[in-house]
Amino acid sequence: MKNDLRPKVQRGAGNRTVWLALLVCIVLPFVISIPLATEIMIFGLFALAFNLLLGYTGVLSFGHAAYFGVGSYACGMAIRYAGASIWTSLLISIALGSLLAAIVGALAIKKRGVYFAMISMAVGQMFYFLALSPLKRWTGGEDGLKFIPRLKLEFPFFVDLGSPYPLYFFVYIIVGISILVIWRILNSPFGRLLQAIRENEERTIASGYNVTMAKFVSLVFSGFFSALAGGLFTIYLGYGPLHSLYWLTSGTILLMTILGGMHTFIGPVVGVAVFLYVQNQFSRYIERWELLVGILFISLVLIFPDGIVGTIKNKYLERKADDTSPETEPELNAKTETEG
Amino acid sequence: MELTLTLIITQILFGLALGAVYIMMASGLTIIFGLLDVVNFAHGTFYMLGAFAAYIVISLFGNFWLGLPCAIILVGLIGWMTESLLIKPLYGKDPLYPLLLTFGFSIAVTDLMRWIFGTIPKVIELPKGFAGSFMSAGIFIPKYRVFIICLTIAVLLFLWFFFKKTNLGMIIRAATRDSLMVRTLGINVPRIWTFGFALGVGLAGLGGAVNSSIVAAVPDMGVEMTVECFVVVVIGGLGSLGGAILGGLIIGQVISFVSLFASDWSNVAIFLTMFFILLVRTRGLFGEAGRL
Amino acid sequence: MYLETKNLCKYFGGLKAVDRVDFQVREGQLKSIIGPNGAGKTTFFNLLCGLYPPTSGKIHFLGNDITDKKMNQISQVGITKTFQITHVFPRLSVFENVRISAQSRKSSFNFWKKADDFSEINERTVEILEQVKLSDRKDRLASTLSHGDRKYLEIGIALSTNPKLLLLDEPTAGMSPAETVLAMKLIRDLRDRLNLTILLVEHDMNVVMNISDEVVCLNEGQVLACGSPQEISCNEVVQRVYLGGPKEC
Repeated sequence: MKNDLRPKVQRGAGNRTVWLALLVCIVLPFVISIPLATEIMIFGLFALAFNLLLGYTGVLSFGHAAYFGVGSYACGMAIRYAGASIWTSLLISIALGSLLAAIVGALAIKKRGVYFAMISMAVGQMFYFLALSPLKRWTGGEDGLKFIPRLKLEFPFFVDLGSPYPLYFFVYIIVGISILVIWRILNSPFGRLLQAIRENEERTIASGYNVTMAKFVSLVFSGFFSALAGGLFTIYLGYGPLHSLYWLTSGTILLMTILGGMHTFIGPVVGVAVFLYVQNQFSRYIERWELLVGILFISLVLIFPDGIVGTIKNKYLERKADDTSPETEPELNAKTETEG
Repeated sequence: MELTLTLIITQILFGLALGAVYIMMASGLTIIFGLLDVVNFAHGTFYMLGAFAAYIVISLFGNFWLGLPCAIILVGLIGWMTESLLIKPLYGKDPLYPLLLTFGFSIAVTDLMRWIFGTIPKVIELPKGFAGSFMSAGIFIPKYRVFIICLTIAVLLFLWFFFKKTNLGMIIRAATRDSLMVRTLGINVPRIWTFGFALGVGLAGLGGAVNSSIVAAVPDMGVEMTVECFVVVVIGGLGSLGGAILGGLIIGQVISFVSLFASDWSNVAIFLTMFFILLVRTRGLFGEAGRL
Repeated sequence: MYLETKNLCKYFGGLKAVDRVDFQVREGQLKSIIGPNGAGKTTFFNLLCGLYPPTSGKIHFLGNDITDKKMNQISQVGITKTFQITHVFPRLSVFENVRISAQSRKSSFNFWKKADDFSEINERTVEILEQVKLSDRKDRLASTLSHGDRKYLEIGIALSTNPKLLLLDEPTAGMSPAETVLAMKLIRDLRDRLNLTILLVEHDMNVVMNISDEVVCLNEGQVLACGSPQEISCNEVVQRVYLGGPKEC
């Protein structure tokens, strides 16, 4: 009995879920259109990075497109203006994204959640406006960053990233490794600390943790992987759209994360897959896609806040619940409020 | 461009007029936050609705003076319904949810308005009395802008009077501090919250109505305004009306002067201002005693 | 002197919540703080554990000045508080509630090892759960616990940080008489077996009289009287201000 000291209730993804998801993604491009599959991978990574902050640490960022967009533009600019290789460009994306996250963190992570949400939204808007107007000469303004030369991977072996299948598997490998890394992080002592912060920040501080530092590191990780997704996005599209910095992108990633289930590991990826698939299939017939998005958002928050995977998980846990001890008393509301 | 005294004063006045609208908006946001603990991510959307409400009323009845109060009332009503139907169910749950809900609301309503009204900007004509500017010693300011400043001052006086002197206002202030206590006095606190929300967005609607003669009414005008309000409130400190006023004044001046020298950067300038102030004074200028 | 405060003050605007308090605790003591509502007991605790910075005065612990330390630093130094209204991690299991708190004694900026693989932390958690009698409920979500169990979980979480000085803020509030007896036994055990120094804020005079070595009575932010349980219960001023009138002594 004493040998297995691990709790029966697993918080965080089981091994199986993650490997299953990765397996499914190998066959994905053969089941649905390749561009769609590639986008699911890219935005899936973005959503996981976002949820690292939201679902696990409990910090809401309304301007996460900033990291994604900076990653996207950085990659494109490195290739176009500096002739950098794919790997170098992605590294630059990651570096800049992480740096931006560090700056935002240094300025704002100590603040109350609502302040951080507002400031993050302001950051997002700021970069959008920067790319739109003052820095138009380099970013291409409204048209986005175009004319990125033909993309090919030289090292470790030659891959033509202009072709759909090689591109997909290139993205798949990078995203797959990232998913495993994020998963590892979330199951580590640090990952548990993040969850404690989400559950009760004051108690976590009282137990002796430097919560500000933990939140800061979480934000930097989030910026890191968001920027990586952005860089991959540019490689996938062959150009860097202004839309990657737009507030609606921030909003959409938030929506997809909640749709899939923000208190689960793989939920955000599922949310991305469902959302993008439906958008792909139905946006032809539905003119007012944004209106639908807004209504979906509202409905999710009011009715379905656990999201798809979250709801499934709850049902599964309910049925598994072996703890039906008779002493489950109703909450004794015996708070003796004293000023002490 | 020569930086003369008259130019400076002109820009300052202009900045006051810009700031006035922001003050109105930020006051509404502050009231909602102070009372309901909800940051209204759809605040700019109600601003936009106010602009359109004014447009519709003025187009239908040809009377500018009818348009403003109607805008306030219509937007207030929409706010009333929104809070009752959509936000109220979320009290007691994760404080994240109202933020998410108002955000989704802004996306939905913006697109709905695009659908109904299209994206062509709608302009409201000013009554004849507002044409032209006041001129004096080389300084000039459009009459309408002066009107906006005066209107904002009137609104602030009204708010001061309302909160300090009227029964309802005092109840609201009490409910902001201790809603449980107020409830035990037999007062319907949820109704107060609804009223507070309606008042807050009503102010936003007024801001939109007032601005729609300068900036044409367009469904997308809401989102930018929401973010700008946030900047004002972060600078001034959330939860303090004085902070909203100070923040609005600062932002107004920043936009005014930056537009003069580097109009390309005028959008970005307010964010840079926010970051600078954050660097220097971490709680914003009037900070609210942070709970954590 | 294990813990000592000198002239400790906390003013909230015009309100003198804690007013020039000189306070000492010796190692191994079980000391109770009593007093009417508004006396400043919880504020005093909050000053000790670093939740509020003092307005003036000093706090020394084990010879070190900890007056300006932040809450997480004070926890690392060895002072841990339980919360008056239970403050647990609702959606984490009982086991994880204690485990994550125990983890705080090791560096947590470890991104690679699996959290569940740290056997010493796991063993410590099991130990503590046994002490607070929650072993059979270790997989339950903290939010599903009964009130009394949650109080025990509070204590368990506090214990997991290996405190040298334990601050218990009304640990028996809301407990039934039977639960209170068990809680008293637990607290006494903690002092006897684990050699913990314990400070207690309590309203239940039965508990206070039964287990304390020394009792301090606060009133309006100031120390009114200090002495053995017997002395305090016979103290006229204390009787008037708090105990509800003169008593037989």
